[in-house]
Amino acid sequence: MAEITVRNLHKEFGVGADKIVALDDVNLDISGHVFVSIVGASGCGKSTLLNILSGIETPSHGQVQITEDGRPAAKGYVFQAARLLPWRTVMDNLLFVQKDRSEQTRARCQRYLDMVQLGDKGRKYPGELSGGMQQRVGIARAFSTEPDVLFMDEPFSHLDAITARSLRAELQNMWQETRKTVIFVTHDVGEAVELSNRILVFAKGGHLADDIDMPLPFPRDVADPEVAVAKANVFRTFEQIGALAVS
Amino acid sequence: MATAVASPPTSAPPRTSEEERVRAARRRDRINAVAWRLAGYAFFLGLWEFASGRLMDERLLPGPVDVLRTFGELWASGKVPGAFADTLTRIGIGFAIAFVVGAAIGILMQNRLLNGFFRDAVTIGVTTPGLIWALITAIIFGNRPWGPLIAIVLTTFALISVNVAEGIKALPKDLIDMAKSFGVGVVRRNRQIVIPHLAPYIFTGVRFGFSIAWKVTVLTEVFSSSSGIGFEMRTASQLFRLPEFLTWILAFYVFALLLEKVVLEVIERRFFAWRDTIKS
Ligand SMILES: Nc1ncnc2c1ncn2[C@@H]1O[C@H](COP(=O)(O)OP(=O)(O)OP(=O)(O)O)[C@@H](O)[C@H]1O
Ligand SMILES: [Mg+2]
Repeated sequence: MAEITVRNLHKEFGVGADKIVALDDVNLDISGHVFVSIVGASGCGKSTLLNILSGIETPSHGQVQITEDGRPAAKGYVFQAARLLPWRTVMDNLLFVQKDRSEQTRARCQRYLDMVQLGDKGRKYPGELSGGMQQRVGIARAFSTEPDVLFMDEPFSHLDAITARSLRAELQNMWQETRKTVIFVTHDVGEAVELSNRILVFAKGGHLADDIDMPLPFPRDVADPEVAVAKANVFRTFEQIGALAVS
Repeated sequence: MATAVASPPTSAPPRTSEEERVRAARRRDRINAVAWRLAGYAFFLGLWEFASGRLMDERLLPGPVDVLRTFGELWASGKVPGAFADTLTRIGIGFAIAFVVGAAIGILMQNRLLNGFFRDAVTIGVTTPGLIWALITAIIFGNRPWGPLIAIVLTTFALISVNVAEGIKALPKDLIDMAKSFGVGVVRRNRQIVIPHLAPYIFTGVRFGFSIAWKVTVLTEVFSSSSGIGFEMRTASQLFRLPEFLTWILAFYVFALLLEKVVLEVIERRFFAWRDTIKS
């Protein structure tokens, strides 16, 4: 079981007059098979938090620990842009992040490509795919490592509404099947309410303003009155915190 | 030609007459382009042949047929291959040194202070014509072997430096971060991200550097060497053997073309095929 512990996390960029506080004294515990969404206005430190959790950036102060049954956890990351190597084929892009190149690994990569409906595109170069297809390759790549913890930073925000919707459904299926811990950043409250067990609300200045439990069963239909009420509640919280500045 | 015919997608719908027409038009266009190119050769060679002996004395301007015959003779005598071997060896050694020095400076220039240290030297290196270095090294070193080598290094190292520095500056941080987040080790990151990213920059540097090195080498040979293509040109002109002189120029062109069109383009197509996939 994955355990994420964040203690007194503080992150700033720049020095002197240019100093920006991206995260301010964040404390957090996440454990087990949960889908956690992080919402908040632009610039309130959501991506910075994911980058620190995933090890791309280091904290200014504070501790972060991510373990799976006591060992360091395996991590996967879906970025806002696909971030594929343009000089490698789709399949090679998936293989690039694997521990080995065995037949078994290849088969697994193929399975996840199939899952995002790109099973026949393994030999294509990213430049030959549409933006939405590239994003799906990025998603398949993150899943194909079968990480203990999966970070996703607005993975659907560049996609059209219909593609985004089908990918949300796929994501939910994969999450249910694989029982990972998912940390999901989004601007879209509806998306957060639809997908998550728990919603973290960040406010300007990078502090964690609210932590909302979402116990409704999956799959959730936006038209369902209970879901609509939950969504309205989350919106109300946002207004109180002032976290929903236009972004 | 770069317009390699794309293989049709596997599930291609039956070709419409519209597509057929487009295809036919493209083919006609290609044939046209080749025909004009050949016509160009025919015209200028014809003009040359006509001028030789009619507009100008044959000894002053031998015609292409004459030059080709001399070329054949010189080739058979082993003089052409020998001179090429000498010149190429010089370029090879000189350019290898220039590459190492240039790449090292390009890497060092990432440091702000070292950037200041090297910047103006590199700018001078990029802007000074090869002719200047060829003259200077000829004056200083006469026909000692390192004259041409130094001229090559001085004219080309900066091109490599500039390109390597640019490439490093544009390193794809987003891809490197992605790899780090998946726990990909530094060796695989370098091999699969840094090197493929730098390759086109280095290739551009090498390509331009090489074409300049080539000219500078021949120039220094003209001024000061006792072997190589440039030396043969000087000898031919001093002895007033114009067919021979023109033969060497011809050989020079043939070789440069071969290098440019065949060797470099093959490398480019082999290693940078993925670039064609990027939509413009
Ligand atoms: N590498 C960096 N250097 C300097 N400042 C940075 C850097 N990364 C982030 N910041 C700053 O830190 C703050 C938080 O940025 P972050 O990218 O985490 O915001 P975000 O919540 O993800 O916003 P968005 O919703 O627009 O993606 C911003 O003010 C940003 O300008
Ligand atoms: Mg962000």
